[in-house]
Amino acid sequence: MEYVAGIDSGSTQAKGVILDEHGSLVGQAILNMERNMSTAAEEVFHLALADAQRRPEEIAFTVATGYGRYRVTFGDLQVTEISCHARGALAEFPATHTVLDIGGQDTKAIRIGDAGEVTDFAMNDKCAAGTGRFLGAASFALELPLSELGSLAMQATAPVKITTTCTVFAESEIIGHLAKGHRPEDVLMGMHHAIATRCASLVRRVGLASEVTFTGGVSRNVAMVTLLQEVLGTPLNVSARAQFMGALGAGLYALDQVRAGRRSAHSQEQEVVL
Amino acid sequence: MVSPQTSPIEADARATGQRLINQWLASLGTARERGQPVAYVFVMGNAIEILQSFGFALVFPEINSLQTGVRKAAPDFLAKAEDFGFSPDVCSYVKADVGLMLSNMQHPSGVRMPPPDLAIASNLCNVYIKWAEIWERHFGTPAFVLDIPGKRHAEWRSAPDSATRIADTRWVEGQFRDLIAQCEAITGQRFDPDRLAEIEVNVNEMLRLWIEILAFNRSRPSPYNAMLDGLTYMGVLNAYRGTREGVEFMRLLYAEVADKVARGEGRVSNERFRLIFSGTPCYVNLRRMIELFESHGGVFAAADYLTYAAGGLDSAGLFYDPSRPVESLAEVSTLAAQMGLSNHFFSHHTLAQQVKDYAADGLVYHGIKSCRTVATSMADNREYLTSRYGLPTLYIESDLIDPRYWSDAQIKNRVDAFFEVLEQRTLLAKRG
Repeated sequence: MEYVAGIDSGSTQAKGVILDEHGSLVGQAILNMERNMSTAAEEVFHLALADAQRRPEEIAFTVATGYGRYRVTFGDLQVTEISCHARGALAEFPATHTVLDIGGQDTKAIRIGDAGEVTDFAMNDKCAAGTGRFLGAASFALELPLSELGSLAMQATAPVKITTTCTVFAESEIIGHLAKGHRPEDVLMGMHHAIATRCASLVRRVGLASEVTFTGGVSRNVAMVTLLQEVLGTPLNVSARAQFMGALGAGLYALDQVRAGRRSAHSQEQEVVL
Repeated sequence: MVSPQTSPIEADARATGQRLINQWLASLGTARERGQPVAYVFVMGNAIEILQSFGFALVFPEINSLQTGVRKAAPDFLAKAEDFGFSPDVCSYVKADVGLMLSNMQHPSGVRMPPPDLAIASNLCNVYIKWAEIWERHFGTPAFVLDIPGKRHAEWRSAPDSATRIADTRWVEGQFRDLIAQCEAITGQRFDPDRLAEIEVNVNEMLRLWIEILAFNRSRPSPYNAMLDGLTYMGVLNAYRGTREGVEFMRLLYAEVADKVARGEGRVSNERFRLIFSGTPCYVNLRRMIELFESHGGVFAAADYLTYAAGGLDSAGLFYDPSRPVESLAEVSTLAAQMGLSNHFFSHHTLAQQVKDYAADGLVYHGIKSCRTVATSMADNREYLTSRYGLPTLYIESDLIDPRYWSDAQIKNRVDAFFEVLEQRTLLAKRG
């Protein structure tokens, strides 16, 4: 049995998966990007290997994705997270025609054609408004863990209208509303709404086509899923492994390479064949 | 004239173009010593043929500004303008020019730019008039503002002999007559219509060649990159418009490009994807931007910039009639303005036509952070071309010359993803 690895070296977290030759996920790992990008990728690779109970030499091919893809020193091929998220989402939900990925620094909307090919994509430019960082700022200002923001927001009774999605000013915006006597859950719901509206407009830019799959760490946030479904007017597919969609896609691209007869050779330049 | 001396033109058109531009910039620094009057003009809506007939040295502040970007000196000039009080959101060309004024006109090319005797502005860009007012205050010299009417109909060009065409042409001609009187007062020379006609003959010849040079890039592989080599060619087109040197340069360029096409020589050795560029370039990271595309075998076969940014010269086939030089100049300027000002309303058609003519695989839009005006209609355009023709498109954003808006990792990521889309399509097409 041969195995492949997919490494997604993102701005806030490194994710790694190990797939077997049938494309089944046999191991996965996630690490906060608090250290050197190259070592974090290596660490997450070894953690995923340990999870799969495999050894490094059993990995026939590794594809790296994410902003740090060129820093994954053991990667055999680099593919952008746009292609990888699309591929991962399709593997989990084959009828996907639109992918919305909200990551730590990037939000991207990807449109997928009938043959599973990426036909268009749009991303936030020059500004992290409407990305995971905005929620990170909220978590910091409210002194609440990121994982609790969504469920707390769902308890809102009178959501505050938030006018800015500027990540830098998020903290002062929140403190300002709290100072006016608004409850934290109402402020939080307002923030979620502001992000959802911004992300929905990105989706409309590539053209909304069902099914829509929501990927990335923010898809674990229940309030965001609820609001996006409301704003987009369509149900969203959310995988239990939503954070691993990029790494999964990378693993599947690695599998393509193995099936085409290519094997890991770090010294050799690989021709990109998607 | 623009350039008093030129050495013999060598074989490489791009190197020649760069030398001509440097020579022209240097000649501006010595204009005062030669007793030559100086005019400041913009690249669009400028009546420079009239100014040339009076022997004005022409300073293009937009070119000065973009040159601060090319020469990697833009941050210092932008900072000076911002320290002075200009908002970071203001057009970076304006700010670099203000920075130049605050630097005693010492340009990074080594040339000390002369102050103007006369400045021409127009309504062709919505900052031109305010920009010219800055010159007026700083230099204490008059700005002559041309009002060239636009047109907001599906058909951009008013019909020949139509009431609109006649009225607009007369309106602009009247302004040109006023400008001529002002030039006579400044230079102490009489207007010479024969000299204007001679300049127009040269412009026509340059334009005729330029249209063919643009068309040569329809060949596969494309002999030059519209967004690298093409920009140098266009620089000459602006700075040497209507001059003998300009005509000679275009002839040399024509011969060189024709030769490359005959030999099947492409700009990129392994041309894989033919692309169209829409918008203005990022001069501060131009080479890097081109490298990002060419490393994937992508070449810009055409760019709308090359068809609209060279003043009255464009690819729409607007030629002067030298037998009635002032009237014809007014008519062509009006038509060029109609094209420029209503561009937002029909650019999706012209781009679709370019995609067809140049057999393009994709289209790249470049939005400018310090100029939202040029990005107007890009989103609609993109949607039209994607949904109607299924054409892969990419939107990237940076600035004309402000390096603070160039985020290399972000742009590389988008460019890489765009080529993955193009590769996937190629693969699917092969599979049938």
